[in-house]
Amino acid sequence: MAADAERRNTDAASGAASGRELSPRSLAVVMNVPTILILALVLAYPIYYAGFLSFHQVGPGQLRSGVFPFVGLLNYERVLTDPLFQKALLNTFTFSAIVVVAEIVLAVAIALLINQQGIWTSRVTRILMLVPYAVPPIANGLVWSFMYSYQFGFLNRILFTLGVITEPINWAGNPDTALFAITVPYVWRTLPFAILLVHAALQGINKELHEAAAVDGANAWRRFWHITLPLLTPIIVVILVLRTSFAFAVFEEILAITQGGPGDATWVAAWYSYRKSFAPPFDIGLGSASAYLLAMLVGILALVYVRMIYRRVE
Amino acid sequence: MRDLPNTKYDLSRRRLLGSAAGAATLAGMGGLARSPLAATWADRPPSEVDLLNFVVWTYGDIYSQLATRFEEDWGVPVESVISSFNDHPAKLMTMFASGDYIDVSQSSPFSFPNFIQQGLVEPLDGLPGIEEYVADFSPFTKQVAVQNGQVMGLPYFSAIWVWNYYEDLLEQAGLEPFQDYDELIEQLRKAKKDGVSQHPILWVAGVGLEQLPGTWYSLTWNRGGTFFEPDGTPALGPGSVARETLRWWAKTFEEELADPESLKVQFTSSAKAFSAGKNLYRGPNHHYGLSIVNDPEQSPIAGRVKVHGFPGDGRTIGVTHVYFLSTGTRDRDWAWKLLQYLGGRTKDGEYTQAVNLAKDAMLGSGYQSVMESDIIRESWAQWGDVDAILDMWGKATYLGEVVSSVNEPWHFPWTDRLNIEVQNCLTGQIDADQCCDILTAAVDEAKRG
Repeated sequence: MAADAERRNTDAASGAASGRELSPRSLAVVMNVPTILILALVLAYPIYYAGFLSFHQVGPGQLRSGVFPFVGLLNYERVLTDPLFQKALLNTFTFSAIVVVAEIVLAVAIALLINQQGIWTSRVTRILMLVPYAVPPIANGLVWSFMYSYQFGFLNRILFTLGVITEPINWAGNPDTALFAITVPYVWRTLPFAILLVHAALQGINKELHEAAAVDGANAWRRFWHITLPLLTPIIVVILVLRTSFAFAVFEEILAITQGGPGDATWVAAWYSYRKSFAPPFDIGLGSASAYLLAMLVGILALVYVRMIYRRVE
Repeated sequence: MRDLPNTKYDLSRRRLLGSAAGAATLAGMGGLARSPLAATWADRPPSEVDLLNFVVWTYGDIYSQLATRFEEDWGVPVESVISSFNDHPAKLMTMFASGDYIDVSQSSPFSFPNFIQQGLVEPLDGLPGIEEYVADFSPFTKQVAVQNGQVMGLPYFSAIWVWNYYEDLLEQAGLEPFQDYDELIEQLRKAKKDGVSQHPILWVAGVGLEQLPGTWYSLTWNRGGTFFEPDGTPALGPGSVARETLRWWAKTFEEELADPESLKVQFTSSAKAFSAGKNLYRGPNHHYGLSIVNDPEQSPIAGRVKVHGFPGDGRTIGVTHVYFLSTGTRDRDWAWKLLQYLGGRTKDGEYTQAVNLAKDAMLGSGYQSVMESDIIRESWAQWGDVDAILDMWGKATYLGEVVSSVNEPWHFPWTDRLNIEVQNCLTGQIDADQCCDILTAAVDEAKRG
């Protein structure tokens, strides 16, 4: 017995010594397996399951019984022919275009400001700007719904006091302004993320480039246009892709401020999916189909962004 | 695998004798009407459970009180699963879909047919004492709780649609409460022109099942119209009462007579907004808004808001919300016991919940005996003219007779569309003709599902 155990130990030691270790490539695969499994569990499976549901008739009764009648592309057909989904999609595009452009412009501007090392307020601003990012989205929506209140809202009160308006404005209750009113709290909440990214990228730009350009007589604007902006392009692409995908899924501010109204003025794609899935008759198959269509659109947009902008850079 | 009891209640000899004995004891008792046939609310179910639950939308602390009382009476703890009114259907159906136990829950009359269709609601026929409850149901309640000949629920509360006016502003404008719709428009114009009120009327037209739709339903019904013909076809065509009512209603927004907040406010929030004292009229909406606008702790104009009936013959609409027994219950007998604590009688034989809701929140009862009792007169007097309200109550018709789709599972998605298109109309995005044409077409879409 003792002799067998000794032989096994000796074999193991000689095996390790004789180079039966995993190659770096194999080791990398093995090390990634836990991550892949976890991602498959928490991301891939729900995505697959939602796709599965989108091809079936699914309500609470079906979920409880586990029997889902197959309906093929019917849910997709219903979504694509629903005028409300088309309107929601249009609103989503409009909303996303506004908030993404606003976020990039503001993020670059604010990041440039707080990047000024010699100004003490820059350091204060760097801390303060993180506050909105810490506010839960639904709380943010509720705060702004009070701000927008027609009769008692803080915003109207300030504008009235400043003499900017003589009559209160129905910011969130007027179909002409409601969607734009939603963009403000959304940008307010999500802007810090973009600022952080741009600010980090700014810190990576070699100061000597600016100093050399200044020696050659380039003014601040030309230095920004020809040095800073091109070097920020990769991070701007990242922001474009991330912020567009998040903006397409805007939900909390809609829920808290307008609930899609007035009329269909602020119905967006995520709100559509939610209402179809979680309001009677709880058509989860239809909701899944609309969510899938939205995800596909975001994916296509991301590809277009990356191709367009990197081609320009090259 | 859990057991989902589907068998009807077994009316045993012991239970029958017990009921008869209880009835004999109660015979001749005063107070709220009690049948001489049964006292089944005091019987302990034969089975044993260690926990029950109800899934309800939030309303003060009534549910924690009821849970405590149930445990004190029967020794069985009750878990309260409480969400907001708007989130309740999603919460309930998520629990149902995932196979959670649900013993008792509640529903508006609008979601109820859908819940029944989804297989969530257990019929109550044959359960001990159910006939007595049904005999005491008010007409509204019967229409909601009895579906296709089966008793599907017990009443939570009933409400009718009424108007409110702010007496001070009306006096300031030199006006008396309107007697017809032309007079109403003229009064609103005058009040605005004279600077008495910038937006003289606050409609309850926020998105919902009863808010914006309820306003249109009640106005249309009062003017002699309905939303569906007896054969189920939509009654929204050219010249229909519903279409002309909408056209008239939209005019109040076009002329900026309506408060812009109208399109956002719900039941309670409209009452609170009206309490600011900036509008002459509020409504039409549930009668119990008076308990907010005339509550000195909540309203600066408390005591100065009066209830006003609909013009003409005064016809209005009403609803009853219900509690029901779930098919996903862990024990049908015990769940029935718990259901009675919410929508029927407690162990002492009193309609405890109905009486408390009437006294604390001015909610009407789905039981005729409670509505006819002194409790209503005594407790409601602090908020309004009880005689006037009860007179209006007598002129109320169940909303389902005005909008027969309420009894259909497709009513909810159709209402979703109604909310959108009517708000589009009231904000001038489309006109009343376009709105009604869209809603007519939307009936077929909703039916297709």
